[in-house]
Amino acid sequence: MASPSPKPNETVALPDPLREAVGQLLLAMADDEVLLGHRDSEWVGHAPILEADIAMASIAQDEIGHAVLWYSLLQELGWPDPDRMAYFRDPPEFRNATLVELPKGDWAFTIVRQFLFDFAEKVRLEALMASAWTPLAEAAAKVRREETYHLMHSRAWVLRLGDATEESHRRMQAALEQAWPHALGLFEPAPGEILRVEAGIQPPEAELRARWEAEVRPILEAASLRIPEAEPVYGGRHGRHTEHLDALLADFQMVARSGLGETW
Amino acid sequence: MGDTQWPVYEVFLQEKRGDPHVHVGAVHAPDPEMALLLAKEQFVRRGRCISLWVVPAEAIYASRAEEAEELFASALEKEYREPRGFRVTERVRRWMERHGQSLPEAE
Amino acid sequence: MLMYRIHGQAVPVPEQAPPPQEGPEYEARLAEFEARIARGEKIEPTDWMPEEYRRQLIRMISQHAHSEIVGMLPEGKWIPHAPTLRRKLILIAKVQDEGGHGQLLYRAAETLGITREEMIEALLAGKAKYSVVFNYPTPTWADVAAIGLLIDGAAVVNQLMLAQGSYGPYARAMKRICYEESFHIKQGYDAFVALATGTPAQRQMMQEAVNRWWYPALMLFGPPDRDSVHTPTLLRWRIKTKTNDELRQEFVDQYAPMVLRLGLTIPDPNLRYNPETGHWQFSEPDWEEFWRVIRGDGPCNAERMAARRRAHEEGRWVREALAAKAAQRTNGGGNGRYAVAGL
Repeated sequence: MASPSPKPNETVALPDPLREAVGQLLLAMADDEVLLGHRDSEWVGHAPILEADIAMASIAQDEIGHAVLWYSLLQELGWPDPDRMAYFRDPPEFRNATLVELPKGDWAFTIVRQFLFDFAEKVRLEALMASAWTPLAEAAAKVRREETYHLMHSRAWVLRLGDATEESHRRMQAALEQAWPHALGLFEPAPGEILRVEAGIQPPEAELRARWEAEVRPILEAASLRIPEAEPVYGGRHGRHTEHLDALLADFQMVARSGLGETW
Repeated sequence: MGDTQWPVYEVFLQEKRGDPHVHVGAVHAPDPEMALLLAKEQFVRRGRCISLWVVPAEAIYASRAEEAEELFASALEKEYREPRGFRVTERVRRWMERHGQSLPEAE
Repeated sequence: MLMYRIHGQAVPVPEQAPPPQEGPEYEARLAEFEARIARGEKIEPTDWMPEEYRRQLIRMISQHAHSEIVGMLPEGKWIPHAPTLRRKLILIAKVQDEGGHGQLLYRAAETLGITREEMIEALLAGKAKYSVVFNYPTPTWADVAAIGLLIDGAAVVNQLMLAQGSYGPYARAMKRICYEESFHIKQGYDAFVALATGTPAQRQMMQEAVNRWWYPALMLFGPPDRDSVHTPTLLRWRIKTKTNDELRQEFVDQYAPMVLRLGLTIPDPNLRYNPETGHWQFSEPDWEEFWRVIRGDGPCNAERMAARRRAHEEGRWVREALAAKAAQRTNGGGNGRYAVAGL
């Protein structure tokens, strides 16, 4: 698996309270990506048109690939290996925002969720490229490049479906109502934010959220979609999830936890 | 049932700098921008690409197969247009042999 | 007029009535066509071709395309449950390729004057065939490995032959597909070996999957030559270059040893190597069952079609919305950026 493999003279090690705090950030990012990738992959073979099926499968692979990168960085900090992390934790140990655990829904929900997530990832990665911790800054730069396509893809879909037909508008608006509060949950500070901000690892989540809103609002408006007034759904970054995560992980971990073998 | 069939866009891919854009296939897409986004995933999942074109298939005008033979026929006497129509090197070599000519040694 | 539109409509629009399918003019054209094939030249979409050649190709290519699309389902079912992140990525990529192959094949068929929409409607209406093997169930993770090795292996044997065929667009699609399929077999064999060399429970799982998939793999090549009505014509026009039975033998010779080498068995008491012929002898699949499954009475026919119809119906509003949106835009065509790299 592609791991960031830090250069020998580069210090990966972090002093302890900060190590734990950085770990919490990576955990949030990795869990977000792996679960979103899983949800996207549920479209493979079932998308509205063949070309869209193929594109969604690539996005699913990219998200899972990013998760592996973040899990590998966590492993450098002393956490278990990526497969252990993805397959052998229970729902309360996951630190993803609830947005990514919600069922795949219709194509409108998938597109809206992906759009909100892609832009959140964009502002996060751009901020992390300036992180004081070099391995994180380098990994962020790498992932950011791959996000370019995702941004174009989800923006193009939102701009088209938002006001194409009455039905597409209705579905997109409903999807936005459902996804928006959970998307705000992407900016719920993971434990240890103060330490991270002080050490220059990341800017405060509130700042990222503001940058994100500045990016997504004009596009949603251009797509004739109304942005709901809603309180964020928090809890994910502290292990509090919807019932959908239980079902998702039961699917996800079924074979790995079957007890039939160690290696697959 | 009847459904909306998206139009076809022909896809041209340039692998690396200096290469021509080569026809690699086609996608069904609602508009050119989406065609480009969808073509990227269908034709650049593996391998290299530095530039991609999509062209509405209906913009393509093609020669007719029945007329191809005459249309693209090249008569024998046009050999003067081909590089192989000139046997210069051989004539120079023969002249040199006949006159005992050799190249002055390079310093 | 020298030029005429071929792509505006999927059907090349002839300016005169279609040429006759009999009489001296037809005979002359047929002779020319067959001579071209005999010389090993490819036939291209705008060339004259007998209607029967067009019909056979549409039948074969569309069936092939449908098989790729329906074939996404039995394996796709296991994407959510793939036991490691690496296997999950590989399986998504593999099933995605199958979609990509379906897309290329539908396109190749479209060059013959049928639209993708018509082919898909025929499939969903239950009027089109696809490979019988995808109507068998995949109850365990090991089925993914068995398909990856045996079904993809059989598909490659078949497709390497088709890549030599006489119709240009089909042969070109096949070349590209075969390249990607070699990745499929590698990953299938890798997953296969992981289970065959794993715990006793994993080995047993793998053995049971081999038992399920051996005969479907043999069926993939189609009915025996003695019952294959199309074969002589297909061979004459080099739509196929080998018979079903020849390909089946090639597959058994290549893949039986790969299974046996790992100490697994193949559910055929008659399977043995014949040193005199240099080939493996084997039992034929149950052809009664084959015809039954083709007619729609397989273990999963209904499930597969229901899944395809659902995706098609649920996606209808999306396809319509984007078509409507495209119609709203003042579409000048290009963005004038063709000389600028980048999207």
